[in-house]
Amino acid sequence: MFFATPVFAAEAAAEHGAEHGGGALFSIFGLEVSSVVTTMWGLMIVLFLLSYFATRKIEKIPESRLQNAMEFVLEALLSQLSGIMGGEKMAKKYFPLLGSFFILILASNYSGLLPGAGHLPGLQPPTSTLSVTAGFAIIVFLCTHYFGIKKKGIGYFKHFVQPLPFLLPLNIIEEFVRPLSLSLRLYGNIFGEEMVVASLFALIPLFLPLPMMLLGILFGLIQAFVFTMLAALYIGTAAAEHHH
Amino acid sequence: MVEGMIALGAALAVAIATIGPGLGQGNAAGKAMESIARQPEAAGEIRTALILSLAFMEALTIYGLLIAFLLLGKF
Repeated sequence: MFFATPVFAAEAAAEHGAEHGGGALFSIFGLEVSSVVTTMWGLMIVLFLLSYFATRKIEKIPESRLQNAMEFVLEALLSQLSGIMGGEKMAKKYFPLLGSFFILILASNYSGLLPGAGHLPGLQPPTSTLSVTAGFAIIVFLCTHYFGIKKKGIGYFKHFVQPLPFLLPLNIIEEFVRPLSLSLRLYGNIFGEEMVVASLFALIPLFLPLPMMLLGILFGLIQAFVFTMLAALYIGTAAAEHHH
Repeated sequence: MVEGMIALGAALAVAIATIGPGLGQGNAAGKAMESIARQPEAAGEIRTALILSLAFMEALTIYGLLIAFLLLGKF
């Protein structure tokens, strides 16, 4: 049901005159490769090269601008995560996962602002399809329970009956609603923004989509931030130390 | 006729699902502004809590959006 959304994307894109919405560009060993996948590959290459050049000759007192910029972003993110997860030790432990989420989602959201995104074949923001965001959310879901069980053993399952035993079904529903809302929030925001830009572009191609794209810069940052914060909150509460 | 009803249902799903979270988010943002004005040094923490709570409220609207998409898929 949820993975049928590329159909919507393709239909909507066809309405707005963009040919390549969710269709396959080519296939490797029977796996269809769509524009979203190629964009993801491009993002992976760009992020890999950026990290490689920023950490190639790492300095205690950074002289290079790239290392400075990367350290600024990571330190800001780390201090935010420390506030959520309770303590910098905790945040540093899960930072590789959460930081990667933030950087990848941010880059993916901003790839929709590139010229021709959604119109050119092979260039479509990956987070504007539900399959990608659902993948992210499922990783968060699995990691939450993995870290919780790793930290607390079998006692982790005690929190399902924690306030009162008859709340067990509600607690289980809540666990499954989390990845649903996590993926739908990201997908809905980015896809909706892409669609508004596309319809404004169809009305008047010149200058009219600009205000919405400016808002897109803000929304892209906020949604990446919110996804990371919620993932940190879920993992933080699952793997928290016992206080009682 | 049926298609018109489906389109109306999809529009209403988003429209009605927007009302409650809109009021709630406005309320939360207003209170956050008040508390930042009252205690500007706590602005960072208030902002993080505000963004998180706004995200939870926004989820409700997005459920409405999901229902609208599912309804549109019935055409």
